[in-house]
Amino acid sequence: MTLGSEFVLIISATIFCIGAVGFLIRKNPLIMLMSVELMLNSVNFLLIGYSSFLKSLDGQIFALVIMTVAAAEVVVGLAIILTIFRTRHDLNVDHINVLKG
Amino acid sequence: MFEITYDIVVLALGITAVLAALGVILCASPIYCALYLISNMICFALLFLLYHAEFIAAVQIIVYAGAVMILFLFIIALLGGKKEIIEPSVERSAAFSFVFLLFGELLLAAGVGPTRPIEGQLTPDVISAMGSAKAVGIELFSRHLISFELASTLLLVATVGIICLAKFSYSPARRRSQ
Repeated sequence: MTLGSEFVLIISATIFCIGAVGFLIRKNPLIMLMSVELMLNSVNFLLIGYSSFLKSLDGQIFALVIMTVAAAEVVVGLAIILTIFRTRHDLNVDHINVLKG
Repeated sequence: MFEITYDIVVLALGITAVLAALGVILCASPIYCALYLISNMICFALLFLLYHAEFIAAVQIIVYAGAVMILFLFIIALLGGKKEIIEPSVERSAAFSFVFLLFGELLLAAGVGPTRPIEGQLTPDVISAMGSAKAVGIELFSRHLISFELASTLLLVATVGIICLAKFSYSPARRRSQ
């Protein structure tokens, strides 16, 4: 196997940065949540790649926990987006500047 | 003779994952973003499979590409996927420069690589002999029991939060009638 751990690091860093750019430049909260998912997934890939390189299962357990956190985060985030949309009928995060509807 | 090896498959999947991630942030319409995200997650699931994490790959397909993305598609269908006009602005270029800095730092860290490999005893042969789900289950319920319980508590809290958001959410129509 010639592709070493550097490959995992580079792919993971690239996708993490793509997710960070997406979170910062997009105005639609749904796509911002998707960018967060990208970042979490890239970290999962890093953990699993290293758990394979280091011959240990700890990375896989961490990836499972991250998946749980991501699922909970997505559910709460989508509910908040839905609540905001019900009161404001607008999906631009720049226009959401007060907490009270 | 061009021969498909493990490395070529891993490299192709990694590049496809990067391209799909670019599609997520560059598409104007949310429904295309969701479809690109599904393809990105499937690429990651295949990569997990190639890195000897069969159980996590199955969980990735079922939970992420299945449940979470169906939830996203429901919400997009409910809210109406309007296209978004992306115009350049000062904040946007500041975000780009910040993330490029971050990317450079991460690549520097990747160039250094692992400093001190710690070898565990669970080689891929051992894991494939006992089955990945069994190995992960034994590890999860013995050494990582507290994190498992914390994750289940987190899911419970999220469920209660959703119920509160759905039940006590502010409704402007009711206020207008008062």
